[in-house]
Amino acid sequence: MPELPELNPVIHGKLRLALLSLLSSVEEAEFTWLRSKTGSTDGNLGAQLLKLEEAGYVAVEKKFVQRKPQTLYRMTELGREALTEYVQALKQLLGAAIGA
Amino acid sequence: MQENTSELDLKDRINLIETMIAEGRRKTESWGWTFVLWGLAYYVAIAWSYLGQPALAWPITMIAASILTGVLASRAASKKPETTIGRSMMAIWIGMGVSIFLLMVTLSVSGRMEIHVGIAIVGAMLGTANATSSIILRWKMQFACAVVWWACMIAAQFVSATQAGILFLVALFFCQIVFGIYGMIRESQRNRAVAARQGASHA
Repeated sequence: MPELPELNPVIHGKLRLALLSLLSSVEEAEFTWLRSKTGSTDGNLGAQLLKLEEAGYVAVEKKFVQRKPQTLYRMTELGREALTEYVQALKQLLGAAIGA
Repeated sequence: MQENTSELDLKDRINLIETMIAEGRRKTESWGWTFVLWGLAYYVAIAWSYLGQPALAWPITMIAASILTGVLASRAASKKPETTIGRSMMAIWIGMGVSIFLLMVTLSVSGRMEIHVGIAIVGAMLGTANATSSIILRWKMQFACAVVWWACMIAAQFVSATQAGILFLVALFFCQIVFGIYGMIRESQRNRAVAARQGASHA
């Protein structure tokens, strides 16, 4: 029986997975947009984004627009590769679970 | 962890990924109001020109509509994520808007506005912009607008100046006002559906 793949624990968290999936479909997104799409609280969202940033999966840019602070998040190439690998592993595991 | 991951949980993760990607790709831009605004601006400029001040009507109306669009769009844009599709749409419509603006102002100020040629150029530009945008967005209704503009452009060349003017006003009504209102209704329905879905997911 072939060995089953490991699921990346950084991505496996539901909110982090949702964030990476959202960021994979846009070039960059504001903190407020991510919050509205995930329905998360500011604190939880900030903490999960920080974990993704520390893993090198997202890049953050802080700037001022019309004197208001704006935080923009962008998925890095490493994050894109990690998400692709995660999806492949997930499909493999699902295939194994259905076949079992 | 792996051994404890149930099939249901795995499917749940796949569904989450698909839902979030679809959310990100969803057309977040709300541009229905710009069609209505510019449709009304054209009507104002045409009516004002008809009343006898074409040299003032077009520049003033076009500048006022441009400023209004810029202010309202910059407010809306700050709440949206940046996407390649969004930027492509903006590029098409800004390019077309600037071209029509310069054309109409120059023709009216120089006094060389000839209705048949004017409608041909404006119809061709609006047809091109609508067609390009509809192909990118895969939006059949917008492609229908492109067809209406092309039909107006062709038909206007074979009728009198008055009839050409009427054709232009009719095309303007359907492709700017009606299409813009339709776009706004769709956007509002979509926003309500998203709000309902978010409410359900928090319940």
